[in-house]
Amino acid sequence: MKKWRLMSFVGSLFLLIGLNQDSSALDPQTLVKDCFNYMRGEASFSTIDMTIHRPDWQRVMKMKAWTRGESDSLIIITSPPKDDGNGTLKKGREMWMFNPKVNRIIKLPPSMMSQAWLGSDFSNNDLAKTDSLIKDYEHRVEGIDELDGKKVYRVRSIPKPEAPVVWGMLKLRIREDLVLLAQHYYDEDLEPVKSMTTSEIMLLGGKLFPRIWVMKKTDAKGEYTELKYHQLEFKRGLPKTIFTLSNLKNPRR
Amino acid sequence: MSLDIKIAWRNIWRNPRRSILTISAVAFACMILVFMLSFQFGTYETMINSSLKIRTGHLQVQADTYQDKRDMRLVIPSPSKVGKILKNTSGIAAYTFRASAFSLISSEKRTYGALVVGIDPGREAGVSTLPKLIREGSYLTEKDRDEALIGRLLAKNLQVKLGDELILLGQGRDGSIAAASVKIKGIYSSGIDEFDRSSIQIPMKNFQDVYSMRGAVHEIVVIANHLGDVSGIKTALGKSVAELNSKKLLVTLDWQELMPGLIQGIKIDLIGGIIFYFLLIIVVAFSILNTFLMAFLERTREFGVLRAIGITPGRMTRLLLLESLSMTALGIITGIVFGGLITLYFQAHGIEMGGSSELLKQFGISGKMYPKLSLLSALAGPAAVLTITFLTALYPAIKIRRLKPVEAMVYV
Repeated sequence: MKKWRLMSFVGSLFLLIGLNQDSSALDPQTLVKDCFNYMRGEASFSTIDMTIHRPDWQRVMKMKAWTRGESDSLIIITSPPKDDGNGTLKKGREMWMFNPKVNRIIKLPPSMMSQAWLGSDFSNNDLAKTDSLIKDYEHRVEGIDELDGKKVYRVRSIPKPEAPVVWGMLKLRIREDLVLLAQHYYDEDLEPVKSMTTSEIMLLGGKLFPRIWVMKKTDAKGEYTELKYHQLEFKRGLPKTIFTLSNLKNPRR
Repeated sequence: MSLDIKIAWRNIWRNPRRSILTISAVAFACMILVFMLSFQFGTYETMINSSLKIRTGHLQVQADTYQDKRDMRLVIPSPSKVGKILKNTSGIAAYTFRASAFSLISSEKRTYGALVVGIDPGREAGVSTLPKLIREGSYLTEKDRDEALIGRLLAKNLQVKLGDELILLGQGRDGSIAAASVKIKGIYSSGIDEFDRSSIQIPMKNFQDVYSMRGAVHEIVVIANHLGDVSGIKTALGKSVAELNSKKLLVTLDWQELMPGLIQGIKIDLIGGIIFYFLLIIVVAFSILNTFLMAFLERTREFGVLRAIGITPGRMTRLLLLESLSMTALGIITGIVFGGLITLYFQAHGIEMGGSSELLKQFGISGKMYPKLSLLSALAGPAAVLTITFLTALYPAIKIRRLKPVEAMVYV
């Protein structure tokens, strides 16, 4: 009798544990990877307006951006005329900048990676290490909210032990259709440092994509950087020749 | 009371040799203290001035919060207006304008992040030792435009030499991309690695062009005539500069706020010195205690007789204290006078620092150290000696009260 009772108790424990697993078995690593691939596509071309806003001042730069795969991107500034022709090329974890006035390509040294990119609230690291999200972090779903009838996953990402990252923790908000709604950055003491939020999700380039991205440092009032997509095309692929130093200097398109 | 003083005085000179020895010990200690304290203070002043003349200056006028944030846009919009105020403020020896931007500096082989500083070559010479620190090439002149000065360590890191070209890439005041090409005209070495590794200097006119400053600057660096004038200047400037009514509030910072590490270093050194002086005084105090005790033991019969004829214990204590006080006073006065004279002599002529003077001269610091006599340095040491010898003398003085006249009178 006793033996039977023990076995049924253990059996029901297993049952409970089994039932606790979501039957859809959502793997956080897959969720984040799918979101990343969705947002980035295989390759893309876009025109973006970047607004740097400060309490007493504002500046708008227009740029063209090409991306390919997980790690290559080229950004060329087209406006204002003073900055026209400046470009940033990223291949893998390396970054180069080109300035037409001095006609020189400069490779960004590691010491400059934490500096602001073109004076915005994005750092060079943010651009260079876009793929670090899927390579260097372990993800966990903390909870599920609901927004406008869609499920939103709250993901907490902790860096892997030997990962070369500057953040102590990231928190993501991913919609069930893989749109990234927000990304919050925390330092080693788990204090919030900056946040990126997306909005105006609409059909862009053939899929639901946020038109507006805002990066804001946590303790800065009235300071933010806003990216607004004007044109976005997702492509199957882009020629490798676009992501070369010679193209950085003399863009063909 | 005056009778006691006469008696005390005569008592002292009853044993002239011992008294003179005691007085000399006190005088010697005081002399050392006066001279060494003056020397220490004088050295601090030299040290402070030399450190400040490399870059920081005695005071700086900046936009509020620039010291912490170093934001390109925290500027002094109309530096000439501040210049006018400075001309009318007393105690100021020289001033200059500076603007800086942290930028990418790229040579043919390497790229580094460093500070690009725009300087006014003429005015800068009056404020900092930079012109004297040039080892290769030459200093910037008013006519230069695309020339630059670079620290030796940074030149080494970038693998460049005189005449090589450097590309500067940074962000202007208006957020636009600032880019320029400059040629190395001079290489300097200040002895401070941090300084030699972290910045290049270009003419202010070029800086203001490249970084779209619209005539503004970031810092106005002020050198005062004397270190002591600094707080006066700070108060005078603080108000008039804040009243300038520019869009950005301007503040005046003194060197303690600009280089807090400097005053910390000095405080530590001062404490070390004080410990040494304290030990010196203790040693002197022991020797004086020894003298007084010996005197006391020798004069036991005398005290016994005095008690027998009716002197009160209190009065005897007072007598002894007056004796020791007179000797100490003589010693202190002699010590202050001689110590002061020696200090003043060296204050005028300076002390050659020997071997290290060659090294120091290289960095624009003269090899001579000047002690500085002040009320504090002249009186602090002797005051401590006075206190401690007084306390020392208390011991025998109080012991006297316990004397039994009958036993004392026949003491052998």
